Amino acid sequence: MLLFLFAAESYAAEPHRVLMLHAFGHAYSPWSDMAASFRAEIIKKSPQPIDLYEVSLDTARVQDSKEDAPFVEYIKALLSGRPPDLIVPVGAPAAFFLQRNRPQLFPRTPMMILGADVRRIPGAARTEYDTGVLLDLDLPAYLTNVLQLLPETTDIAVVVGNSPVERYWTSELHRAFQQFADRVNITWFNDLTLGEMQERAARMPAKSVIFWFLLSEDAAGVPYSEDRALETMREVSTVPIFGMGDYQLGRGIVGGPLMQTKAVGQQGADAALRILKGERAGAVAPPSVLFGPPAYDSRELQRWGISEARLPSGSIVHFHQPTIWEQYRWPIVAVATIIPLQSVLIGYVFFQGRRRREAEAEAALQRKEVEHLMRVSVLGELSGSIAHEINQPLTAILSNAQAALHLLAQKSPDLVEIRDALEDIVHEDNRAGEVIHRLRDLLKKGERKVENVNINDLIRSTISLLNSELVGRDINVKLDLGNSALLVRGDPVQLQQVLLNLVMNAMDAMASTPMARRLILISTRGAYNGMVDVLVKDRGRGISPKENGHLFEPFYTTKDRGLGLGLALCSTIIRAHQGKLTLVNDQAGGAIAGFSLPIQEPAIGAA
Amino acid sequence: MTDKFTVYLVDDEPGVLKALSRLLRARGYEVKPYFSPQLFLEEHDVAVPGCAILDVSMPGLDGLELQRALTAAGGSHRPVVFVTGKGDIPTSVRAMKAGAIDFLTKPVKDKDLFEAVSRAEALDAESRRIHSELESMQAKFRTLTPREREVLTHVVAGRLNKQIAGDLGTAEKTIKVHRSRMMEKLGIRMVADLVRMAEKLNLSK
Repeated sequence: MLLFLFAAESYAAEPHRVLMLHAFGHAYSPWSDMAASFRAEIIKKSPQPIDLYEVSLDTARVQDSKEDAPFVEYIKALLSGRPPDLIVPVGAPAAFFLQRNRPQLFPRTPMMILGADVRRIPGAARTEYDTGVLLDLDLPAYLTNVLQLLPETTDIAVVVGNSPVERYWTSELHRAFQQFADRVNITWFNDLTLGEMQERAARMPAKSVIFWFLLSEDAAGVPYSEDRALETMREVSTVPIFGMGDYQLGRGIVGGPLMQTKAVGQQGADAALRILKGERAGAVAPPSVLFGPPAYDSRELQRWGISEARLPSGSIVHFHQPTIWEQYRWPIVAVATIIPLQSVLIGYVFFQGRRRREAEAEAALQRKEVEHLMRVSVLGELSGSIAHEINQPLTAILSNAQAALHLLAQKSPDLVEIRDALEDIVHEDNRAGEVIHRLRDLLKKGERKVENVNINDLIRSTISLLNSELVGRDINVKLDLGNSALLVRGDPVQLQQVLLNLVMNAMDAMASTPMARRLILISTRGAYNGMVDVLVKDRGRGISPKENGHLFEPFYTTKDRGLGLGLALCSTIIRAHQGKLTLVNDQAGGAIAGFSLPIQEPAIGAA
Repeated sequence: MTDKFTVYLVDDEPGVLKALSRLLRARGYEVKPYFSPQLFLEEHDVAVPGCAILDVSMPGLDGLELQRALTAAGGSHRPVVFVTGKGDIPTSVRAMKAGAIDFLTKPVKDKDLFEAVSRAEALDAESRRIHSELESMQAKFRTLTPREREVLTHVVAGRLNKQIAGDLGTAEKTIKVHRSRMMEKLGIRMVADLVRMAEKLNLSK
């Protein structure tokens, strides 16, 4: 163990430089899921530090661009003449880009292609410096699965987008599904917008299903990241949805044989480490990643009345919710044998059901209590500063009132000045009232409200609540919010709690940052993808690799006086608002915490 | 010194700044309000009689730092009154040690404020008097020739004319002439006064 530590330490001086090229931007499933798994795995397993550079060739999803030059220049500048030890293109378009530009871009650096399909990267196209962890999708197996589970299916609608990659897949799917033409009627959604697809999904005939293959961009050219479109489709669809990859499980698909994004990332990391250790890339030839055991979502099976008995052997059922029978088998058996009276049995089951509902209600209540406690404890930490916020207007009120009294005592009182003083008293009183009003909202144990919230206003109000704490800790705040209102649907108190938490984390992180450098940058961006992005960026010590991945776990904390519930709770709140909370290191130092929420007016700015 | 006693008021909170200025003006004081500590430092003129009332917690430059900056800028005798919303003991101890007149907690009572300002006024007048006395002494001292200054340090050290002549390698008569001219220039008759003045001017070493 010690020897290993020493060995690790002696290597530690020189990190491996790995360049990841994303074909689709950071947030496009399934590539983003493969990349995330690869990233986590290589950092975890590598004995030496890994210096990751990531470049998005976003244009790849729009068109197979012949204008590579700016990207080539950008990558050259990014790595400033020091070639990386390994290049990892994620997705076929990124691999094509690299193959085109190899001569200008590090011709001798090994390349490992991640997650492209074997059909797109034939062995002949690879040099001795190349390898890849590739996918081998058995396309007909998808429909075989549908027909095994629902043999009476008459219609299958295929959801596939209209970007160049998706056009490639549309023709592959056409060919692969030819053999089913006499059994089912297959319709294609590739020339529809998401809205039109949803309309069609809501009016599908009985005994039909949707096969969701891939939707990165619809026919109108609107991009969709992270498969949120799938979740909205599930809400309106009247028929079961089948999917193609493990990353869709839990987002509304029934399941079946699935593409394994996690396995691609893991095997990719293993292969990458062998290359980094010195093996020739061409000699590292991992097998293609096939489907794992078929996997299903228990909730979807139940929803569509598909019996688990129909599933192929070796299937894995996720999100399993125990039935009352499974939970209370023995009490029921006992009651049934001792008192074989159906009415008693029914009564008992009802009783248990009520107890479960009561337990659920209690759990919900407890969650609300914890949320409330967290708010109270955050405010407790801030009590000094909040007292200061109220004390300021009180000071102004007292001095104004006493000034007015002194003026009145003079021989010829200056009535204009006295009037001004009284007006200022009214103004300052309102200000103190506002602070108290904001506090009362945060301290109240109210029901969750859902209303339109202008996130920019919420940020301003949060910062004014923290104002004197920020001054006391010599921290500057820069807001980059833009002028227009950014509306989201949600509970203003819960969202403010998230903001408070993120800003206070940023403040805590900068305790040992030199005073002149202490800065928190809060920015919002709207109408991108129909989402509002909120970022809180600090110049603190950042997230260490040890902490990475644990920060959202309940009771995990890096602070002396922390409960370890802050981020876990924030993440829960944001998820309940159909959003996502992320925490990453900034390349320039410090951390960036951010979340995105669905915007309230999807039409504005998207056109 | 024809200038009127002026209260320099520095507080980053506009509402408080305005209210305190109004209160002090109602009492008849000349007030110069600043909500930026930096601006105050730029415009501050030591020559104007007055005092400074500083808020302790301000962004960029807090009250204690401002007090230090003021001292460094040559305003060491500018009386300072602190006003704070928090009133924590360590800060007030540091402020008082650094020579603050008073440390008032917000909300500030008019009586306390006026009392602190009037003490500051007295202190400012006193320190101005001492300062101008010192300045006139310095001016006189500057009129001495190097030889006269040399004789002065020896006299202050308690040496007799004869001894000084020996030390400097000259005649006792010459020393006598230097000595009487030096006393005349400084406007001093007694050696005791000379010693006191040397102490004030910090010449003993």
